Amino acid sequence: MMKLNINDTDYQVDAEPDTPLLWVIRDNVGLTGTKYGCGIAQCGACTLHLDGKPIRSCTFPVSAAEGKKITTIEGLAKNGSFHPVQQAWQEIDVPQCGYCQSGQIMAAVALLEAKPNPSDADINSAMSNLCRCGSYLRIKQAIKSAANNGGQS
Amino acid sequence: MTTKHSTSRRQFLKGSSASLTLAFVLPLNPRLAQAKSLKRPATLNAFLTLENNGKITYYNPFVEMGQGTYTSLPMLIAEEMDADIKDFSIEQAPVGKDYNYMYGRGLRFTGGSSSVRTSYDIMRQAGAATRSMLLEAASKILKVSVTELSTEPGVVVHKKTGKRIAYGKLAHHAAKLTPPNNPKLKDPANFRYIGKPVKRTDTRVKTNGTAEFGIDIKVPGMLYATVKKSPVFGTGVESFDAKAVLDMAGVVAVERVPQGVAVVADSFWHAKKALDQLPITFEEPKSSPISSKQLAQDMRARLDEAGINAEDKGDIKQAFKTSTNQLEAIYEVPFLAHNTMEPMNCTAHVTDTKCELWAPNQGVDRFAETAAKITGIPLEKIIIHTPYLGGGFGRRGIPDYAEQALILSKRLGKPVKLIWTREEDTQQDFYRPMTLIKHRAAINKSAKVTAWHSTCAGEGPGGRFFGVKPDQVDNSVVEGATKQPYAIANKRVDYIWHQHPIPIGYWRSVGHSYNGFVTESFIDEMAHAVGTDPVAFRRELLAEAPRFLNLLNRVTEMADYKADVIRDADAPYAFGFAIHESFGSIVAQVAKVSIANNQPKVHKVWCAVDCGTMVNPDTIEAQMQSGISTGLSQALVEELTIDGGKAVEANFHDYPILRPHMMPEVEVSIIESGAKIGGIGEPGTPPIAGAVANAVFKLTGTRVRRLPMKHYKLELAAS
Repeated sequence: MMKLNINDTDYQVDAEPDTPLLWVIRDNVGLTGTKYGCGIAQCGACTLHLDGKPIRSCTFPVSAAEGKKITTIEGLAKNGSFHPVQQAWQEIDVPQCGYCQSGQIMAAVALLEAKPNPSDADINSAMSNLCRCGSYLRIKQAIKSAANNGGQS
Repeated sequence: MTTKHSTSRRQFLKGSSASLTLAFVLPLNPRLAQAKSLKRPATLNAFLTLENNGKITYYNPFVEMGQGTYTSLPMLIAEEMDADIKDFSIEQAPVGKDYNYMYGRGLRFTGGSSSVRTSYDIMRQAGAATRSMLLEAASKILKVSVTELSTEPGVVVHKKTGKRIAYGKLAHHAAKLTPPNNPKLKDPANFRYIGKPVKRTDTRVKTNGTAEFGIDIKVPGMLYATVKKSPVFGTGVESFDAKAVLDMAGVVAVERVPQGVAVVADSFWHAKKALDQLPITFEEPKSSPISSKQLAQDMRARLDEAGINAEDKGDIKQAFKTSTNQLEAIYEVPFLAHNTMEPMNCTAHVTDTKCELWAPNQGVDRFAETAAKITGIPLEKIIIHTPYLGGGFGRRGIPDYAEQALILSKRLGKPVKLIWTREEDTQQDFYRPMTLIKHRAAINKSAKVTAWHSTCAGEGPGGRFFGVKPDQVDNSVVEGATKQPYAIANKRVDYIWHQHPIPIGYWRSVGHSYNGFVTESFIDEMAHAVGTDPVAFRRELLAEAPRFLNLLNRVTEMADYKADVIRDADAPYAFGFAIHESFGSIVAQVAKVSIANNQPKVHKVWCAVDCGTMVNPDTIEAQMQSGISTGLSQALVEELTIDGGKAVEANFHDYPILRPHMMPEVEVSIIESGAKIGGIGEPGTPPIAGAVANAVFKLTGTRVRRLPMKHYKLELAAS
């Protein structure tokens, strides 16, 4: 058994140490907002935060997440208020099918934490999550909008 | 999105070939008609229930896979009903004849860019009829004539006395009334919603992790499964050694499925881990396994055959005979994978008497029939829940993954959630077909193009799924090559049916996905052959096609289109143009392109779309961006190769799709020509590859005849 801290809550999980964190969160803990897209860290749909830094959880062993602070998409909103990035996403209707969006948002939040006023180059560099629906333009727009509105929570 | 009731709402949709009239019949279910509890939703028609508190539930015949049906369709109802769209909750409509109204052929599927354009009239009528019933109910309660009543969103108002009754309070009264046969529709000049940008109804849940996709479904007591089908198409599993993995953590069973084997466990990861370890012997192929390289050669070799005629205007033979010059080009496009971001999955719960399915799908009837066939449970007892789809693009109309889940659940007597790995998804797809296309043009001594002959060799999903006779044209192959708008006197399109064992299916824009690229590239080839700028060339040939001409003028103006390469910039760039009609709409695009690292760099795309009538301009903009990203992805990088009879590529590292930094800026302009409403989901895709290729030619002198363009080492030509 191991203890995981997810969105400020402690969970006891029974999983082999090399189980990808993604699947522990989805199947053991039952938080399905973080998605499976490829399993080889190519697409970013599984992006969540470990001690505030974005990681691709599909290739991250759960044992390495013990003792760390895990934040998933479900934990972004605080006190019933959406994170500024989520608000920016909602303002311009970024999602289409929506499947990649949890990962996109988590990556964007991490970018804005590190760079509150990212340039186009910064955004291109940090945002490599795949989207099959082509929401890339609105993602960029929303990141800039969130930055302009003080995009950190 | 769950269809909680398979009801006996009796709503008849009388279809005639010319128009659809709507006749509403009182719900015959006495429990609904005489609802004792006012808390139960009142059924107003096949599409709407209304609760006492004003909540409206819209039963959507179409799925939500990003293209916005969960917003565009309720907009139509809310408009005519005079309701607030914020009061709408959207659910999937159950299986039922009331929802099979597409094209007057009893169809219901989400695809072919059809959802909004086949529903435009019906949903407006449903909304108007509902408003009429609410007014009538209010008139009875207030004991005044209906003519004294009006509505504001969600409320019936009696101006004379200032009395107001919220729709919710009228729900059960209205449900008892007979809906009018031909309700009066609003004057478009008074639209609140239609034609205006309306926010998506599903954005909130798609930004907070609560939107439920098929892969997220939780059913009490469910097991997890993952599957491997035999990689060589057409072969199956000879044997496997279940004992080797049955003792692994969490493993419950190892089971055969058609042509494959599945591991069932207490979690996806346990199932996958065991499947990766499972020794499997696949059958040897009966015939020599094919490669896409060989297939392309075989198709190319047949392009001079006469084939089956799809279109014949004028006298092609004579035109070529008397021509001064001829132009010929052969184009090649590869197989393409769908690679929806959410891999194939399905959850099934089969018992002796019940079958419940949670299946992302693009055609609920087909999935219900599959379930009935496999389980033996009568169709009326099959319950299908359709969640949000993490992308469809044509892949999820095929119930192969549902079949597997049903078989497993039936055999194990437990609910089973089947999830495909990305590798399985890439390698067991129903691909956009590889196709070889030859174009020929005849040019007379006045440098006028007098004839255009195209031949498409391949196989299409239409023929594959619905059968095609040896002398029959498969429209899914030649669509986009036929019905060209250009005024070229002699025109012929032929089809060569070349069979092969590779699974094929419907991929966003189908035959238009390559014919858009090919025809628009070849028109440019014609233009250059006669020494005219391609836009000017088209302007002349589209003189009698006003919708096309308007779009051409609009988009070239937007882009400030220049015929020549602009060399005084950091990197020389050029504009490429393309225009294509598909699924009832016409889209014109101009791409601004430069060359970087021997590849096209697309800076910006201007896009003008004439969809006749628009519902949600915000959706249209998003779908144009989306269509362009799909089209550009296939133009630049996508390719599914076959070798040894199986798919070579497996995941995003070797089957790349468009990455964020490759997405150009997109500017969209919508023209409402007043023509019949056209589709929006696919029409943005066909023109972009041609627009980019046409710019590339100007910059490099290289004519792209094969996609993806990553095969070319492009060099800027000296001026």
